[in-house]
Amino acid sequence: MLSGTEADVINSVARLRTASKNQIRRQVGFSLEYIGFLCRDLVRRGFLDFSQGRYSLARKGIKTLLAEETPKVDRKLLKSVAGEVAREISGELKRAVKGIKIPAAAVEIKKEPGIKTLEEQKKIRTDFDFPVEDESLVLESNINKIGIQTEKEKSAGMDKSVKFYKEMYRRRKKK
Amino acid sequence: MSKSKDEKGVVSLKGPIRKGKGVDIGTMFIKCAQKEDNEIVFKSQRNAFFEVEHTDFTKNILNNSKVRYIIKENKLYVVGHEALEFANMFNKETRRPLSRGVISPTEKEALPMVELLIKNVVGEPAYKNETVYFSVPGEPLDADFNVLYHIKMAEGFLKTMGYTPNPINEGHAIILSELAEEDFTGMGISFGGGMVNVCLSFMSVPVFKFSVAKSGDWIDQQVAMAVDETATRVSAIKESSLDLSKEEGLSKIESALAIYYNHLIEYVIEAVKQEFAKTRRLPRITKPISIILSGGTSLPKGFSHRFRQILDQLKLPVPVGSARMASQPLRSVAKGALVAASADESRK
Repeated sequence: MLSGTEADVINSVARLRTASKNQIRRQVGFSLEYIGFLCRDLVRRGFLDFSQGRYSLARKGIKTLLAEETPKVDRKLLKSVAGEVAREISGELKRAVKGIKIPAAAVEIKKEPGIKTLEEQKKIRTDFDFPVEDESLVLESNINKIGIQTEKEKSAGMDKSVKFYKEMYRRRKKK
Repeated sequence: MSKSKDEKGVVSLKGPIRKGKGVDIGTMFIKCAQKEDNEIVFKSQRNAFFEVEHTDFTKNILNNSKVRYIIKENKLYVVGHEALEFANMFNKETRRPLSRGVISPTEKEALPMVELLIKNVVGEPAYKNETVYFSVPGEPLDADFNVLYHIKMAEGFLKTMGYTPNPINEGHAIILSELAEEDFTGMGISFGGGMVNVCLSFMSVPVFKFSVAKSGDWIDQQVAMAVDETATRVSAIKESSLDLSKEEGLSKIESALAIYYNHLIEYVIEAVKQEFAKTRRLPRITKPISIILSGGTSLPKGFSHRFRQILDQLKLPVPVGSARMASQPLRSVAKGALVAASADESRK
């Protein structure tokens, strides 16, 4: 998953074609160090390329820009990037399918609204009792002798919370 | 008015004295809250241990210096805060019975240690079947593990001790502790040691709750790798002197910590946005909600300001009023669990 700022970084690099850390920082905000960290991480994950102090989009970055679930995608960039990707993919396809018989694509099964998937239908009970032995009996310790760190605070605020919570519970039960 | 007697023979005019307890079982600390007269008493123990040489001499020194230890199969472990100090002294890492919010699968000493720490912190029930609410993490969005084993172990052990245990989500407990004035509507985010737990609640009912398996420990590990230090030392600096409102004059470790704090906050807010998008039946929230920040990882100065800055950039799909720290960030989970336990007890 890309975070919002990571998507911003990718957008900004796409907009500038090649960009220095400083240029990205000016567009995205945050400190130079944080932007540097994000860029390095995006290079490591294959979203950006880095050469001679400048970042550019790597293949994964271009594809991500086109993916619908990517947050904050700058749609204006899509047109220009789409052509680039289309050329790349068609070249790749041509190489891959040369002489290979391609099976028909699997039909994606779309979930009908209101119909539960098998996963949703499964209801696993977790309210069972699970007896646990006291394995600590074999341990020797001086914690009891020294005592446990203790702090105190006034409980007036908490009493009010308990009262409200009980009230709310009662109202919910009535409904 | 009838007199009644509880299990331990305590007589009360209105019936048996029922109070309950709230326990926060966290990666870093185990903390128990209980009411005593007009006060809430918190007992806590750090969840870390460090093996030292087991001789009578060491044992005596530890006893004399009031350092807590546990002996298991002829091995001597310093536990609690002192474990951190020992680890720093030897430039090594502490060991932890809980990792990423649940009983550590890689520590074979983990279970009896956790049991002993719980037993010492929670103590015996005041009467048979006293209600105890214990905090549990939400299902992690980004890690392939289930929290059921951890919940069942904690529940089973508290039952063995004579309690009536009930799990409560960590984020939900924060809401019960801090948002009574706002009808328990808002978001509780606990930045713990091993996980960040998030709960959105509407009129005290959780709308969604989840966790992410990155938090304080993750920051420590990443920074440790980046600057070639031990995670324990990074953690010590983070806890003692980190100031996230400082922008200049940061040391190498502080700069790295600031970077990873940004990353963590952003990661959490993105996960919250994702959860909003996934939730089918969102209640109509008309008023801006409050976000309560809590947990040990949220303690550095400037944390809530940094959170607000990033939140303003990334924006949630609901209006947010204030994003503020819990009144006592290290106590709010235990306190919220105690609110639930006390409410249950008084309904009995």
